Amino acid sequence: MIKILIVEDDRAISDLLKLNLKMVNYETKQVFNGNDAVNIIEKENFDLIILDIMLPELDGFGVLDKIKYLDIPVIFLTAKSSVSDKVKGLKMGAEDYIVKPFEAMELLARVEVVLRRYGKKNDILYFKELEINLKERVVRKNGNIVDLTLKEFELLNLLIKNKGIALSREKILEKVWGYNYLGETRTVDMHIQKLRKKLSLEDNIKTIFKVGYRLED
Amino acid sequence: MKFWQKIFIYSLILFLITFNLGGFFLIENSHNFSLKREMDRGLSEHYSIYTAITYYTLVSNSLLKNNSIDSNNEVITDYLKTFDNENAYLEVLDKNNSVVFSNIDLEIPKERVEIKKASRDRRRYIIRDIEDKTFLFITNLLDINGNTYKLTYIRDITYVYKDRLNQYNFFIKIETIISMILAIGMYILSKYITNPIDKLINSTKMIARGNYTERVNIHSKDEVGVLAENFNHMASAIDEKINELKTKTEEKQRFIDNLSHEMKTPLTSIIGYADFLRSTPYNEKTFIEGLNYIHKEGKRLEGLSWRMMNLILLKKENFSFKKENIKILLLDIKDYLKPKLQKKKIDLVISAKEYEVFVEEDLIKILVSNLIDNSIKASNKGSNIYINVYKSSKNKVILEIKDEGIGIPKEDIPKVFEAFYMVDKSRTRANNGAGLGLSICGEIAKLHKAKIEIESELNKGTNIKVIFP
Repeated sequence: MIKILIVEDDRAISDLLKLNLKMVNYETKQVFNGNDAVNIIEKENFDLIILDIMLPELDGFGVLDKIKYLDIPVIFLTAKSSVSDKVKGLKMGAEDYIVKPFEAMELLARVEVVLRRYGKKNDILYFKELEINLKERVVRKNGNIVDLTLKEFELLNLLIKNKGIALSREKILEKVWGYNYLGETRTVDMHIQKLRKKLSLEDNIKTIFKVGYRLED
Repeated sequence: MKFWQKIFIYSLILFLITFNLGGFFLIENSHNFSLKREMDRGLSEHYSIYTAITYYTLVSNSLLKNNSIDSNNEVITDYLKTFDNENAYLEVLDKNNSVVFSNIDLEIPKERVEIKKASRDRRRYIIRDIEDKTFLFITNLLDINGNTYKLTYIRDITYVYKDRLNQYNFFIKIETIISMILAIGMYILSKYITNPIDKLINSTKMIARGNYTERVNIHSKDEVGVLAENFNHMASAIDEKINELKTKTEEKQRFIDNLSHEMKTPLTSIIGYADFLRSTPYNEKTFIEGLNYIHKEGKRLEGLSWRMMNLILLKKENFSFKKENIKILLLDIKDYLKPKLQKKKIDLVISAKEYEVFVEEDLIKILVSNLIDNSIKASNKGSNIYINVYKSSKNKVILEIKDEGIGIPKEDIPKVFEAFYMVDKSRTRANNGAGLGLSICGEIAKLHKAKIEIESELNKGTNIKVIFP
């Protein structure tokens, strides 16, 4: 299981990160200041660190400086949206940064990209009897390939990656069809119907009233 | 044209005009003088010859008893032959203008006004240029035994004109040399005089380009020195103003940065939890936890907006001041802060006399309780906070709050009154502060015309004095 360290002094935000990461089955650990972070990173193995910049005792840049040699990917979390801070973080070797306030989906997507870049994420996702091969871009059900259109495949991919989290139709449109797509949210509904049918996920893809859809185990 | 060039050229021109005029008059004057002298000499010589001839002919005629024209002519010629002067010539004509005697070896013009108009009692003279020489002609009528002769005396005065020419030549040479010396001198002098102006120009250029720390380095006591000094005063005033504006905009920028940061942190939690709760399946524990966070962070935003309002209102409202007993106020505040003090087991020691101060009760309570609140936050469990009220040597009431807490780093002390400024950002936020307390205190103190002084040593404690007017 992938293990992520959350270094954030604001308890509420730290817990929020933990909840979101847990939802998609990451193991998490929380520390609340810079020195604790350095200590625990040197003792335990982590696949990824989410690091706040403004920390008590030792700030995020200081932490990054001390643990650089371990070559663990770091995502900066910052309320400062100033360009110079971002550049400084990235120059120091951070993989990415997220600006507060952030959206859960954005956080998860960035975490996944970084993990994949470091080869810590499998290219094959599993859900029940489904096997989704991201490299070959095929879906197998009990070993048999199921024919899916490109959009259906991407929609399934999005749902699995955000398992347990409801996605609004607008969000789905944006992520699967792109920002500039001028279609209606009806399109999303039709594709969801087809996915449910083709993969017999009627019970797993839940319609959430007033929000959108959610994939559940 | 540049200023030094103006000085240089104008003074040189002025010199040339006056020097030439002076030289011209001097030379002409001395020329006229020598000309007059030559003329006097010529006239006196002419006169002596005239008298000599008159006398000689008179004597020789009376001796010879002969009074013919021929004998007269002979006598004249005899006499004049003895005359020998290389610079002068003599000529005697009879009344028909035929030559009686002449030793002239010059080409003289035929038309001779002085001979035509010659008279007995007036001598006429004229100056003529013949070939490259100048001659003075003096003529009058000579009566010998009833015969009229014209006596002309001719004197070579070329040297007078030559002298003048020589003097002019000499003058031009001298003038050239003097002009050159003057030009060099004036060049150096004008450069020297205008050098401070050049410096001033360079400095103004630098300042115009935005280098406001530039100063003019001129220390003379003349007008330029005064100008430079005033200019430096002006530059420092501008420099000061610009720095002031800079710090003000920086302060404002920090205020905005901090405000947005202070708002974003609770908003991140509120939006994040709300989104999480609505998009994940219901789970009682996370549901309660999430709602608690939303509530707590919402409260934090409320507190922030409340304090912001205070800060804004303090700048606008009119307050009514009254005389209040400071000791009673302090005891009130201690009561109000009791729960916080007990929580950290801090003893608040008040030693105050019953001084009266002219204050707005509610505001001064906010001020003092904010300061004590800060001290509590900075103090360790079980330590003491001391409050002393006393009068200074200038009879001002001073309220002093002393703690034994973590202190403030020296470089941070000037900034603590700035809104949102926090010495230790994370710790302040953990204590649920936003860094507005002291800036509110600062505004309240301003309203009371009181001063707040901070002394602090890291890990030893902080001493804050509120000095009432």
